[in-house]
Amino acid sequence: MAHVSVPMYWRTIPQRYRLVGLQCKKCGKVNFPPKGVCKYCNASSEFTEVRLSGRGKVHTFTLIGAGGAPPEFAEQEKAGGVYPVTIVELDEGPKVIGQMADVNPKDVKIGMPVRAELRRIYEEEGVVRYGFKFVPLEGGA
Amino acid sequence: MVLGISGYGVAVPRLRIKREDYAKAWGSFSAAGVNEKAVAGFDEDMLTLATKVGQRALDSVPLKPDKITRFAFASTTPPYTEKLLSGTILAGLGAPGETYTTDHTSSTRAGTEALLAGFEHLTGNPGGNALVAAADAPQASMWDAIEHGMGAGAAGFVLSGFALLAEFEGSSSVVSEHFGERFRPRDEQVTRDLNVKKFSEGSFVSNTTKAASALLKKLGRKPEDYAHVVIQQPDARAPASAAGKLGFQDPQLAAGMVSANLGDLGAASTPVGLAAALEASQVGDRILVVSYGSGAGSDALSFKVISDRKPAFTVSKETARKEYIDYVQYLKLKGAIR
Repeated sequence: MAHVSVPMYWRTIPQRYRLVGLQCKKCGKVNFPPKGVCKYCNASSEFTEVRLSGRGKVHTFTLIGAGGAPPEFAEQEKAGGVYPVTIVELDEGPKVIGQMADVNPKDVKIGMPVRAELRRIYEEEGVVRYGFKFVPLEGGA
Repeated sequence: MVLGISGYGVAVPRLRIKREDYAKAWGSFSAAGVNEKAVAGFDEDMLTLATKVGQRALDSVPLKPDKITRFAFASTTPPYTEKLLSGTILAGLGAPGETYTTDHTSSTRAGTEALLAGFEHLTGNPGGNALVAAADAPQASMWDAIEHGMGAGAAGFVLSGFALLAEFEGSSSVVSEHFGERFRPRDEQVTRDLNVKKFSEGSFVSNTTKAASALLKKLGRKPEDYAHVVIQQPDARAPASAAGKLGFQDPQLAAGMVSANLGDLGAASTPVGLAAALEASQVGDRILVVSYGSGAGSDALSFKVISDRKPAFTVSKETARKEYIDYVQYLKLKGAIR
C-alpha cells in the first residue's frame, strides 16, 4: 500500500478536502498541488492561497479493473467494480489526477466537464482518508 | 426578530434498488409503500454527504462559509462512534475553526434536534448564521425486515434572520421512555428491532401526535391551516397513522413523502421531507414537520413559506438522477458479503 502517514496526510487537508492551491505572486499561475517554488516561472516562492473552483474538463483517463487496483483501492474495486481514474484540467489551469465517481465508466469521455467533491478515498489504520474525486458536472454545482 | 430558513440543498446518492429485487431475493419486501430506495456509493459516507448538502445550502442563499456562526450535524450512521464529526465537514467547507458545533447521532430524531440547535443559537445571536446538515443511511442486518426500507439521503439548511424563504414559527417536543424498537447496543454495527409491531407503532403514534398537537395548540392552529405535513418516514405508510389521528388528510402528506422513492432516511427523513415540502410550496403555505426517534421522542416544528425562491438542488432533481443496481451489487456495496 502506498503508505501516507497520518501527520503527512493531515498537513495536506486544505488541498485534499477543498482544493486550496497557491497562486504565484510573480507570474500569477496557480500551483496545485501547492509547491515550494512556482513550477511555472521557477523564480518565486511567494504565493497567495486560492481555493480552486473544482471545475474542469477530463484531459485523459484510464479505467481500473480486473484486479488492477492498488491494495488501498482493492476493496473498492471488488465492491463497486471498474472505476475511472482521470487527469482533469482545472478551469484555473492545473492538471490534477483523481478518481471519477457517480458515473458509468463507459460514459467517461475526454473533454467532459466535471467538478470535484469530497469523498472517501481509502481507509488505513482505521482512519478514513477523505479527499476530492471528480463527478460529472451535469446537475452539479 | 423573525428567524427562519434562508436556503437549503439536497443530495441523494445516485444508486437505487427496486423493491422487486428484494422480493426476488427474499420472497417479500417489508417496507410498506417504498417502491425503490437510494443506496450510498462505496466512497460516500455521512460526512461526505453532509459536506455536499452544507455547500449546496450555502450556495443557495448564497452565503460564504466564513459567515457560519453555528454548525449542527445529524446522522445515526456516522463513520465513527467516537471522534468529533463536524470538523471533517467544516474543513471540507472551509468554515471558521471558531464555530461552535454539535453532532446529533443517537436517534432518528437527530435531524430536528440539529435544526432546533440552530434556532436556539439564533435566538441568542440574531445576526448569526447556522448551518445544519442531516445525512443518514440507516443500517441493519440483511436478515432483518427493518433493513428492507433503509435508504440514503441528506439535506442541509442555512438558518438565519436574513433572506428568508420560510419563517420558523415555533416548536414543541416530547420525550418518553420506550424500548425494543430500533436500537443499537454499544459495540454493535447495525440497528436491531425486536419487531413487536403494535408496541412500536404505539410509541410512534403517541410521541408524534403529542408533539404535534402541543404545537398546534401553542400556535392556535388547526390541521387545515397547513398545506403540508412531514412526519418521520420509517416507511411510506407509518406517517398516515399519526396524520390521521391528528386530523390531517393524505394530500397534506403527499409532497413530503420522500420515502416512497428514497427509502427510510433515518435522521435525514424529516429534513429531506421538509426540503420536498418547501420545493412544492407557494408563498403563504404552512409546513408542519414532526420527527420521531426511537427510545423515544418527537419534535414538531412549524414553518410559514414567505418566498418563492427555489434552490438548484431540490428533492425532485436529486431523485431523478439515478442508476439501478441489483441485490448482489447492493450486498457488496453494503459490505454484507466480503
